Amino acid sequence: MNVTLNWLKTYTDFAYSARELADRLTMLGIEVESIKQLGTELTGVVVGKVTGIHPHPNADKLLLCHVDVGDDAALQIVCGAPDVREGMLAPVATVGAELPNGLKIKRAKLRGTISHGMLCSEKELGLSNDDAGLMELAEHIAPGTPLAGALGLDDIVFELEITPNRPDCLSLIGVAREIGADTGNPLKLPEVHLQENGGDVRENTSVTIEAPELCSRYAARVIRGVTIGQSPMWLQRRLESVGIGVINNIVDITNFVLMEYGHPLHAFDYQKLAENRIVVRRANRGEKLTTLDETERELDTTMLVIADAEKPVALAGIMGGEDSEITNATCDVLLESAHFQPASIRATAKTLGIHTEASYRFERGTDAEGVIPALNRAVQLIADFAGGTVCEGIVDVYPRQHQPIHIELRPERVNFVLGTQLEAGQMHDILSRLGFHVENANPDKYRFTAPTFRPDVTREIDLVEEIARVYGYDKIPTTLPKGNIPVPVPKPTVEIHKRIKQFLLSTGMMEVVNYSFCGPGSFDRIRLNENDVKREGLRLQNPLSPEMSLLRTTLLPSLLENARHNRNHQIDNIALFEISTVFIASKEPYRVTGILTGKVGGGVYEDAYRHPDFLDIKGIVEGLLEVSGINDYTLAKTAEPTFHPGRNAEVLLGKQHIGIFGEAHPEVLKNYNLPYRAYLFEFDLDALTENAEPVKRFEPISIYPKVQRDIAIVLDADIPSNLPIEFIKITGGELVESVRLFDVYEGEQVLAGKRSLAYTITYHSGTETLTDKLVNRVHGNVIKRLHQELGAELRM
Amino acid sequence: MQEQLIQIQSDALAALEDVKTSDALESLRIAYFGRNGRLTTVMKGMRNLSTEERPAAGKLANEVRSSLTKAFEDKVNRLARTRQAQQLEEEAVDITLPGRKPLYGKAHPIMQTLEQIETIFKQMGFQVATGPDVETEYYNFDALNTPAEHPARELHDTFYLTDGHLLRTHTSPVQIRAMEQQHPPIRIIAPGKAYRVDYDVSHTPMFHQVEGLLVDTHVTFSELKGVLTSFAQQMFGKRIRMRFRPHFFPFTEPSAEVDISCTVCSGNGCRSCGGTGWSEILGAGAVHPEVFRAVNYDAEQVTGFAFGMGVERIANLQFRIPDIRTFYENDLRFLRQF
Repeated sequence: MNVTLNWLKTYTDFAYSARELADRLTMLGIEVESIKQLGTELTGVVVGKVTGIHPHPNADKLLLCHVDVGDDAALQIVCGAPDVREGMLAPVATVGAELPNGLKIKRAKLRGTISHGMLCSEKELGLSNDDAGLMELAEHIAPGTPLAGALGLDDIVFELEITPNRPDCLSLIGVAREIGADTGNPLKLPEVHLQENGGDVRENTSVTIEAPELCSRYAARVIRGVTIGQSPMWLQRRLESVGIGVINNIVDITNFVLMEYGHPLHAFDYQKLAENRIVVRRANRGEKLTTLDETERELDTTMLVIADAEKPVALAGIMGGEDSEITNATCDVLLESAHFQPASIRATAKTLGIHTEASYRFERGTDAEGVIPALNRAVQLIADFAGGTVCEGIVDVYPRQHQPIHIELRPERVNFVLGTQLEAGQMHDILSRLGFHVENANPDKYRFTAPTFRPDVTREIDLVEEIARVYGYDKIPTTLPKGNIPVPVPKPTVEIHKRIKQFLLSTGMMEVVNYSFCGPGSFDRIRLNENDVKREGLRLQNPLSPEMSLLRTTLLPSLLENARHNRNHQIDNIALFEISTVFIASKEPYRVTGILTGKVGGGVYEDAYRHPDFLDIKGIVEGLLEVSGINDYTLAKTAEPTFHPGRNAEVLLGKQHIGIFGEAHPEVLKNYNLPYRAYLFEFDLDALTENAEPVKRFEPISIYPKVQRDIAIVLDADIPSNLPIEFIKITGGELVESVRLFDVYEGEQVLAGKRSLAYTITYHSGTETLTDKLVNRVHGNVIKRLHQELGAELRM
Repeated sequence: MQEQLIQIQSDALAALEDVKTSDALESLRIAYFGRNGRLTTVMKGMRNLSTEERPAAGKLANEVRSSLTKAFEDKVNRLARTRQAQQLEEEAVDITLPGRKPLYGKAHPIMQTLEQIETIFKQMGFQVATGPDVETEYYNFDALNTPAEHPARELHDTFYLTDGHLLRTHTSPVQIRAMEQQHPPIRIIAPGKAYRVDYDVSHTPMFHQVEGLLVDTHVTFSELKGVLTSFAQQMFGKRIRMRFRPHFFPFTEPSAEVDISCTVCSGNGCRSCGGTGWSEILGAGAVHPEVFRAVNYDAEQVTGFAFGMGVERIANLQFRIPDIRTFYENDLRFLRQF
């Protein structure tokens, strides 16, 4: 909401500068989002007095004017306006000024005569559409006065963020009251002295409330014989300064009072109301109303309408109807001031998609007791500026009286909650300035009545907040908690996550964070089977786009998408991982997922770039399992369609699937425009955590020397490389410390269908120095066993 | 004989001067000290001298031998030094060649900031608590004193699931879950993802929040100020100034928004802070009695405070990324910068 400095000053006195006021309001809880100086578009335009007029030597239609702009010498200005006359005051755009229409004023020669500025019309200054002649100014203004100041246009607008709990601050008076609470200065409310000469209002109209649950109060006045026209300049300026368009005097006045009191009013053309009366009721189903925005609305029974004897004439609290709006032909006015139930207004406004200044305030809760002052204020202004006769009295139907709210306040509790040492009297002062009425003077337990414009204050803690914010949050001490620190509960999950993340970072993989959303298309792109449960993602009712309409059940599509993005930007060494939850049925298990594609290696010297392969991803997976403390896993090939059928493996702990890794299927690569093979892994991080061995135990390090023997064996190519290792370990028993494959060879040197595998066997004992004799015997047995079981021949 | 010795000495020293290599030095050594070397030969001739001549000649011979021995040793050392200097010179590298940088990955910038925040609060005795992203209306709104018709619900544009659940709009539901599961004293932070229907340069539909909650028998608003001031000083530096200003949240009262002096202009006002000199970093307040009622705590017996901050916002006070959506593009040229 917008307010202006000068307008605020009409309701309470304060000496703050704009910046100071913004700070004060902000520290009271009304955040100032922007401060704007008005009238800057009229910089360089001043009030001038025409002191002499002479004919132009070279042009019949131009005149040479001498204009006093407060300087010693009068300006010579060439003017073409026929209505210029000696002695008049008019705006002068001086040299250097830039008018709102973009015209830059320069010293110029007009038909051979120099002109030092320009006398302006209202239109040229962007003040109105009136270009009939020069703008004439009141005579008392001193020449040289900046025009913006002379017209009161040099105001300062504050854009305020009013929190939803403070409907009372959606008004100039509400904001002024807050300033008054800060300064201690009283609130100055407009005075109303009505002359009611128009006959008893009850003989002119009646109000029936058929839905008191939605309308607790409806008050109406009638003004007869008004003259529709422009509202006075000052009122137009006020409205324009806060961004409200000017329409006609009656509508402008209701808008003015809306801004002033925060209470929306509505003016009907009295003669357009069937039987000249008001019925407040629910709409009938299917009933139609054309609102002021020229839109026909179909209504239902949840919506409250203002009707006349026959038909709806307004959407209660939201927008008037077109049929009964104020027009230039309007003569008699029925003015409404009412109180509607907030939730109903909010629901109707939302259903119909209409949001107005009125609905905004009714939704948040207006003051039922504020109905009459706002009504009277508006009627006073109508009488003053639109003429007409005010009918005597108000039709005021008030079926549900506002019940005053009483709240007890323990000053000791205030200090307990805030950590302050305020005096009870200070608290009492603050609350009084905010309009709270104290009913007893017991400083141990005050009893306050909340003002009717504060629907947000109903309990003691609400008063604590009022005291705190007016006292000043900045004055509340800053201390550290004195209470006990709870005993920490160790979280092994966190520890394993951290370990895995550290490990993956150390391999050179970069961490990514993706949105939790995906679309059905992503399941197709990774070729999930039609019946794969991962396709059953939780669905959003209101997604931003179809591609964000589901919650992720796997992180693989996100990482492939990241690879695509980077590849599209010519980045080739792509190694990414993400740790996140996925959404499967009602569970949110953690996944750790990675992708490797493009290039690996440092790219310099002997560590040249190369394309990653299956063993790169497997190495990362092995490390990941190792840092998780998982050792007794097995691998098995799968038929998962995301992966290359011959180059993937699932990781099993017993029969439990804990993860999968391998090369992406060529079709998947195609779906993500990836020019290189890509390697993926996805692990169930919760399974890793559950099976992790968080406690590491020391294993003694042998003090005896170890003996290493290399063997190269030739055997059938389809024998997996880990099978010889099993036999070596079984045969060698405790003496075999480790077996490491260090070379695989297939090619000319061995027969077709065979391959050569080379292993380093480390023999070691924890209790003795191994003799050659012993090692030779064991090693011989190993070779013999490999030959017997696998047909392995030693390669020489 | 004496003349001979003097001659040998001066010849040897002169020859030594000209020696350039260790091979030449060895030949020279043999020429003088070898079995038939000049010095050896003269020394052998000693025994032919008379008893009168021998002491003086012997003394001179020993002097010459020891001085030449030392000269040869010096020459060895000199040659070695020259050789080493030469070798070092030859081994000079082009220091502009690129190093063999070990590969290392980097945590995502949001996660780096999150970890910084967690570390600070952990040092103040807060423990990490978590809750689900998919929540119920009850935990996300109702239990947080935000009933269905409350206008504050409109501030959160909520993603709803077709099964009636919703994506939490903040990590505050973890407050409720924590208080249901444990008794005071409670000191937790709840980092995690939150979701709102929003997508522009300063909003992403998913973002990260850290919620904090402290509940005990006597927790004051001044302690809230203390904890958050300590946090901000550790996060943004000792010289940062803080501003607590009143605000409204349904689940806290009194409520505050907390600003720090603008990290760009130090509070003088600039474009980054909209000319105010302040940057908002979080929302906070004393736990509302209605929230305590929802978890069956007696608001007369315990008090507490809660706070919530957006990790992207905190991160961006440092990084100043013009479009916050960049965080989720996962462009490696971006990720490598942090």
